[in-house]
Amino acid sequence: MGQLSLRAVTKSFDKAEVIKPTNLDINEGEFVVFVGPSGCGKSTMLRMIAGLEEITSGEIVIDDKVVNNLAPVKRGISMVFQSYALYPHMSVYENIAFPLRVARTPQADVDRLVSRAADVLKLNERLKHKPGELSGGQRQRVAIGRAIVREPKVFLFDEPLSNLDAALRAEMRVELKRLHGQLKNTMIYVTHDQIEAMTMADKIVVLRDGVIEQCGSPLELYHKPQNKFVAGFIGNPNMNFLPATITAISPASVTVKLNDGNECTLPVSGDCKIGDEVSVGVRPADFHSGGNIKVIPDVVERLGNETVVYANTLSGAPICIVTGGMVTMAGGKEIAVGFEGQNAHLFRADGSAFERNVNLNELELTA
Amino acid sequence: MLNKYTWWELVLLYLGVAVFLMFVLAPFAEAFAVSLRPLDGLFNIPYEFITDDMTFENYSIMWKSVPNLALYIWNSFFIACCVTILALICIIPAAYSFGRFTYRGRDGLLAMFLGINMVGAAVLIIPLYKLMLTLGLLNTYWSMIIPGAAFCVPTGIFLMRSYFLRIPKELEEAAYVDGASRLYTLWRVILPVALPGIMVVTIATFITAYAQQFLFALTFNSKDAYKPLPVGLYDFFGHQTVHWNELMAASLVGISPVLILYVFLQRYIVAGLTSGAVKE
Ligand SMILES: Nc1ncnc2c1ncn2[C@@H]1O[C@H](COP(=O)(O)OP(=O)(O)OP(=O)(O)O)[C@@H](O)[C@H]1O
Ligand SMILES: [Mg+2]
Repeated sequence: MGQLSLRAVTKSFDKAEVIKPTNLDINEGEFVVFVGPSGCGKSTMLRMIAGLEEITSGEIVIDDKVVNNLAPVKRGISMVFQSYALYPHMSVYENIAFPLRVARTPQADVDRLVSRAADVLKLNERLKHKPGELSGGQRQRVAIGRAIVREPKVFLFDEPLSNLDAALRAEMRVELKRLHGQLKNTMIYVTHDQIEAMTMADKIVVLRDGVIEQCGSPLELYHKPQNKFVAGFIGNPNMNFLPATITAISPASVTVKLNDGNECTLPVSGDCKIGDEVSVGVRPADFHSGGNIKVIPDVVERLGNETVVYANTLSGAPICIVTGGMVTMAGGKEIAVGFEGQNAHLFRADGSAFERNVNLNELELTA
Repeated sequence: MLNKYTWWELVLLYLGVAVFLMFVLAPFAEAFAVSLRPLDGLFNIPYEFITDDMTFENYSIMWKSVPNLALYIWNSFFIACCVTILALICIIPAAYSFGRFTYRGRDGLLAMFLGINMVGAAVLIIPLYKLMLTLGLLNTYWSMIIPGAAFCVPTGIFLMRSYFLRIPKELEEAAYVDGASRLYTLWRVILPVALPGIMVVTIATFITAYAQQFLFALTFNSKDAYKPLPVGLYDFFGHQTVHWNELMAASLVGISPVLILYVFLQRYIVAGLTSGAVKE
């Protein structure tokens, strides 16, 4: 129940191919998050799975059944829209009951199912109200209620929290995660908020221009991005990329020379040869003070628990550093920073990543 | 402050409104004044707006001097209602289709509808007469209802379409995802949400239908029993005298259905029924 596969699925609007041939397997009960920059095809992908958008070629398979030509209900999916799409003239009760009314469910069952959904979403007090009288978060919950009431195999969410304020978003995030724990359905969730992606997902799918760049668990994407795009997209603030040249290669490590003359050795492996132009990726938090890289801080943001420093290297390249909240640092005064090779990532000129020799299980244990 | 005016700007604004209202309402005031006077008091010189001899007598005499008056008023109302219903039956599905589906020739078709509106009924009256004759509809209610509805449809489609366009697409998509058919969605979701728009179109159509009867009734109907008020008013034209005072009284009574309808329906125009449909 709720196993979903995309097989060589594509989508074109007129001539423009918005989704390139895509393969994806989603297991039963998984919480999958689609992330990517605006316009990369997340909504289109979701709407194709929902059956709101015809696919141009390929197959969508739910529970071993090709559903290309089935209506959404027949696919066993339900969807929560970014704009809620509540029926303004119906009460909360009727909004939640709508899918049941369509299916001509007997009134006694409607009562039972609606009140159960309302229990889960804490909407009991609001059943008689019209959507116009509810707060944003409550409307969102009504929309979710309408989606869960007919017990679909797969839930689809298109940026459901993007119009809520930060506090409510954090609260709804936790509620959704809890809901997933209770219902155990497969959920597919579109967002461009990284925090939502990292905190909620069992599996993150990173999209760019209609292509899946990488698909894996949040920590896998964080620690072993397969290319520069994913590395730059996951993690906040974004990863720094320092240009470098390979100077030595050993079976378990690669030594590079940064453009400012510093050498460092990274425990990575992959095809390369001496003299290749590469980029070293370092997350802002992986810098430590006292090293060989001289930078001049430009803007210093003090967040209390940490300090974000936007600086420039001596050659003028921008670099972002995150340090402890108590560090005092003034703009314009040169400082020296460094990083450990084992924390850094290495990318070829075409953007693909070298395999890092780190053990994810260990990372998850220590994390 | 966007809406802050100085006192003299306000005075000017109100003055403008007053002049405009005078222009629009003066005929009504005059008609009312005439309807209260006896016939020989109508042409007094110098003109006085209020005179001593005013009574409501004409409002009772008129029913006797033109015994068919009640029938005429009823006919007017009946024809306008039928026109409105018939027109709405055509307007709503057509506007929905223009607003929601894409198909070849859609925009051309819409332009054609509006083009017909520009030509107007008066130009087409002779071909229409021929048509009515061929169909054997002359001297029936239908001869006034069908052309009346036909000429209300284009504007109605245009009004209604813009209302449908404003209803978020997600509402239909949500219903579709929940398993509702197109018709079920139209009936249970779109029409209730579009109710204020439907009310506006209903009122506009009714008023147009009420006002445009004259032409069709004069041309296509000669039976007393089917005459609507605008044509029936000619009965006040006697052999020697025209009973202007009674005619005005009858006219004012005749437009009252429109006014009453407007009073009942106008709150729908104002009410914002769509609130809460989508995130603002
Ligand atoms: N109906 C359509 N006709 C033509 N092009 C479309 C249509 N819908 C989407 N597109 C195009 O498909 C691409 C992907 O759109 P999509 O809505 O899936 O992006 P998204 O990833 O959801 O972006 P966002 O984060 O801004 O919601 C865009 O370039 C868009 O212009
Ligand atoms: Mg989108």
